[in-house]
Amino acid sequence: MIFELNGVNVIAELTTTVTLLDLLRTDFGLTSVKKGCEQGECGACTVLLDGMPVCSCLVLAPQVEGKRVTTIEGLSENPLMKELRDAFMENGAVQCGFCTPGMLLSSFALLRDNRHPTEDEVKVAIEGNICRCTGYVKIIEAILDAAEKISPD
Amino acid sequence: MEYSKILENLLHRNEFFIVGKNVVRSDALDKCLGKAKFTADYIEKGTTIVKVIRSTKPHAFIKKIDPSIARNISGVDAILTSKDIPGINQIGYVLPDQPFLNDYKVHYIGDPIALICAQNEDVAQESIESMLIEYEDIPNVNDVDAALKNDSPKIHKDGNIAVTTKIRKGDFEKGFKEAKVIVEDTYWSPYQEHMCLEPDGAYAIPEGANKITVICESQSPHLVREKVASILGWNLNQVRIIQALTGGAFGKKDDTGPLLAAYAALSAVKLGKPSACIYDRIETFSTTPKRFPARFKYRSGADKNGKISAIEVDITLECGAYANRAPFWLWRQTAHAAGPYEVPNVAVDGRAVYTNKVYGGSYRGFGNLALHFAVEQQIDKLAHELKIDPVEFRLNNVLKVGSKTTCDQLLDHSVGMEKCLQGVKEASKWLDKRQSIWNGTKVRGWGVGCAYHGNSTSRSTPDWSAASLIMNIDGSLTYRTGICEIGQGSPFGHAKIVAEILGADISTIKIEQPDTDSTPDAKPTHGSRGLMMGGTAAADAALQLREKIVKVSAEMLYCQKEAVECKDSFAYNKKKPSIKIPFNEISEELHIRGENPAAYGFYTSPKRYYDSDTGLGINYSVYTFASTIAEVEVDTETGEVSVIKLWPAMDVGKAIDPQIIEGQIHGASSHGIGFALMENVQIKESKILNPSFKDYIIPSAMDTPEVDDAILVEEPYNHSAFGAKGVGEPSIISIVPAIINAIHHATGIRFNTLPVTPDKMYKALKEANK
Amino acid sequence: MRTLTGITLLKTHTLVGALEILSTLDRVQPIAGGTDLIPLIREVESKSTHFIDIYSIKELNGIYEESDSIIIGSTTTHSQLLSSKTVSEKIPALHDACSLIGSIQIRNRGTIGGNLCNASPAADSAPPLLVHDAEVNVSSLSKNQWMPLEEFFKGPKISALKSDELLIGIKVPISGNGCSAFKRIGRRKSFTLSIVNAAAFVERDGDSIKNLRLSIGSVAPTPLRMKKVEKEFIGSKLNHQTLTEIGQACSGQVNPIDDVRGTAEYRRDISSVLIKRALIEAWSRTGGK
Repeated sequence: MIFELNGVNVIAELTTTVTLLDLLRTDFGLTSVKKGCEQGECGACTVLLDGMPVCSCLVLAPQVEGKRVTTIEGLSENPLMKELRDAFMENGAVQCGFCTPGMLLSSFALLRDNRHPTEDEVKVAIEGNICRCTGYVKIIEAILDAAEKISPD
Repeated sequence: MEYSKILENLLHRNEFFIVGKNVVRSDALDKCLGKAKFTADYIEKGTTIVKVIRSTKPHAFIKKIDPSIARNISGVDAILTSKDIPGINQIGYVLPDQPFLNDYKVHYIGDPIALICAQNEDVAQESIESMLIEYEDIPNVNDVDAALKNDSPKIHKDGNIAVTTKIRKGDFEKGFKEAKVIVEDTYWSPYQEHMCLEPDGAYAIPEGANKITVICESQSPHLVREKVASILGWNLNQVRIIQALTGGAFGKKDDTGPLLAAYAALSAVKLGKPSACIYDRIETFSTTPKRFPARFKYRSGADKNGKISAIEVDITLECGAYANRAPFWLWRQTAHAAGPYEVPNVAVDGRAVYTNKVYGGSYRGFGNLALHFAVEQQIDKLAHELKIDPVEFRLNNVLKVGSKTTCDQLLDHSVGMEKCLQGVKEASKWLDKRQSIWNGTKVRGWGVGCAYHGNSTSRSTPDWSAASLIMNIDGSLTYRTGICEIGQGSPFGHAKIVAEILGADISTIKIEQPDTDSTPDAKPTHGSRGLMMGGTAAADAALQLREKIVKVSAEMLYCQKEAVECKDSFAYNKKKPSIKIPFNEISEELHIRGENPAAYGFYTSPKRYYDSDTGLGINYSVYTFASTIAEVEVDTETGEVSVIKLWPAMDVGKAIDPQIIEGQIHGASSHGIGFALMENVQIKESKILNPSFKDYIIPSAMDTPEVDDAILVEEPYNHSAFGAKGVGEPSIISIVPAIINAIHHATGIRFNTLPVTPDKMYKALKEANK
Repeated sequence: MRTLTGITLLKTHTLVGALEILSTLDRVQPIAGGTDLIPLIREVESKSTHFIDIYSIKELNGIYEESDSIIIGSTTTHSQLLSSKTVSEKIPALHDACSLIGSIQIRNRGTIGGNLCNASPAADSAPPLLVHDAEVNVSSLSKNQWMPLEEFFKGPKISALKSDELLIGIKVPISGNGCSAFKRIGRRKSFTLSIVNAAAFVERDGDSIKNLRLSIGSVAPTPLRMKKVEKEFIGSKLNHQTLTEIGQACSGQVNPIDDVRGTAEYRRDISSVLIKRALIEAWSRTGGK
């Protein structure tokens, strides 16, 4: 099974049916993709599939054949992601860090498509990423801060 | 030594370089890059999988454990029972009531009986299903009242009461006679599940024949080491525990850390192969400890001057299957029973009771949530009866410097309760919001909640902490603390304290992962003690090292020691600041001149004690105070309650990092909103019905209220670094009653049980309209 | 939680291929986004050993406007529906529902077909489609038929699909100047299963109701159309009085149960609140007051 992973075409040997989450963690060592519930309810396993945030625990590995999968490792040099990362760090939006990769990916998809989100649009974008540490306040501030920086009014 | 005066007395300046400023946490970058590793991220392919075989009965004798079929499944490496435990089969935290692996009797659905060690998940699953366990049912005890009946089945051999507490102060009967108004009610605070985003896990690797390393989630690697060594029958130094970055803890990992580490370790030692035990969400939810449910029967009296004259409190704490932390939890509730108010006449009686359900354990707030849920409503009711504004009533009764707490402890300094309450009163414009406001079918109300929380471990246990600090020859610093990074940022707070004292650039300080082979025992990361205690040990180490640095710098700069200043990892003469010596040169000189470049910090808390007959004494070295005002909106047509805005305040002693503290306040508030309005562990016949995110509802981003700037009051604590107090817990305690009081303000309806879900609010409104 | 090891995922890019597999193999379950199916398999032993991935079958995806109807392919995702102008203008209740289903991650994968085939009484896409008189296209290798959506729901989590059949698409007739709206209540603001949901479709003539269709979900074994109530109020003026009466009449038609999400009593009472709110919104969308 061939698919594009973080910009590179890769081959996955699928001997049994697994989720994309397990494939990424076990076969590709991409441990940034976290296992929080395996039921699509917490968002810790969020990846971008053809650019769209999805829960990788709900995607069967063979379903990504021919598609583009992006994890946070694949965006480390991306300028928008860098702004987001800086904003998260400077605004105190990172505590335990377990939700952070998924949260950043959802935020990235938002700002990539919407340069001036309202606070409500930010909340909708990250509604599927549960955080038990921050209470979301500083995460929302960080995303709005990053939006300001990339497109100052 | 007055650690709070380090800046003035020992650093001889009045300007902070880094303490009190917002600084990006040193662990944030790795977490944002996805490089930060959590327990499951370390596991290599081919690791043996360990799963726990658990009781399906809430209360039964085990007649037979037959692993023969299960053992023969291809891919099963071993099935371990109590017979395979080389050491002691006991894991009870205080009372020895909890076997590690049960072989005689089970006490809740989920009670561990055996371990499957298998090569993969499928084999493990099949094997679990093939285990034959025969039980002899015993009638199960479903609630505390059933447990307290004389003819109730005994859950443990000494009966169903695990521990009792008591306070008698003054004369409560006289106090009630003097009261103009008396209010009395019963409050019930339920289970809560931590819902850490990272499920529990541990990964054990044998090192030769006589040592084991376990990478695991925990809140105290040294406690984990103690329990693992005890089960293996080994010396402490044969067990190495490394605390991996932990994805949320809130108390859960304090209890599960030792358990899972021991499961993984036992397998690894028996098989001689790396073994990992990782729970899935359903297992974490169904079987691990939760917030203890508690019932408060509370009677309060206030005199005509609006002063609380007496309280009589009866606490029934539900332990579930095992006592675990109950002695500490119940004690904290008892010792705080009056709330943050001065009450001269106090009678408290408490008991912790076993039932056949999942057991209670550490959880943010540690008993004070349930207590303040009761107290803060009692206070509102007293105010209402006397026709006094609820904030004014509180201001007239709050603890101040010179006050005595519930258990007669004199507070001689560091009491910021009044400032917190005044602060939120002004910030929220409380006096302009004394009427509820209608908008169509929606109504808004405002409520206040106050809280206090004794820092560190309860029951006046001896309290100390330790840290180590090494200046490497290139001037960089290696810092070690047993305080765990669980998201709260305490270890980074230590690094800031070290940076401030040494005058070091914070980026040159590396905080090592807690590793019992090299990290000093700082005692546990709980009770909001991580910064207060651990940070003071850090200060102790840093002060020792600074002395050496200053001595050598003075020699190199040809000046007096008093003239030396250190900043940004340079030392210079205050009178000739242009000549700066970098730390790497100073470090080389330290080594050459024979000055020890390492320091071991050790800090002991002032002694505490209490009289077990009266319950009076000095219970906590210091208290953190908090206050929250909440604005809620109730949709009276649907019963939906939304929290619109919060005004939080906390007396933090000294804000080492304001942004990190705000993060704690926001997170704790969110946790409290969930507890007040959404979170409901549904149990029927001892079985948990909703063990997942889908049906156990916690706040998502959409439920985030507007939060006003947190008011950080600073009433320094004399005996901690720069005066800092613990901040992790008080906000969850103050917000729950603030919300409930606000709902009352909006609708006139009080709730004595939680959560206030839409259907519950709706039903109460419907009934009130009749 | 159960692993997926025992399950084979079959793939096909053609509709005929999928129908062939369904007709020849036993215990085959079609899967698209998997947002309902995968959590289910994890918790409960699956009756199926083969899953057939229909996600890449082009004929099953898309939103097409024909002269008098809109055709929605069964594997159209909630996100696709949300970004469709056709849907937001012509089937506004469905747009409302899609914005409330799950989270963005779920909406990017979950399909309307999946939502309907899962046949939960609380399916959020059901009331909007029911008030638009939607029909569903069910096909097997030998048979192809259209049926009213109402007939597609047989019981809680039971659809009319036979083991060799596939839900191909949904047809929403468009006529007149009616507007619709959808409301629901969950246990928190978002990203939660509905305790009760409701949709209303109304065609306005001045301040009278020219045409009325009402649907409530999660109050019975299947999502309900309130046909008796609709008949009673067509021709009436819409005002506070009639709104209250409509709400009460609907409450009288429902048959909810207690479950982990809510009580029967609450569901009964709230169904009238939601149907009123949906109707008010639909009415204002037609320009009414």
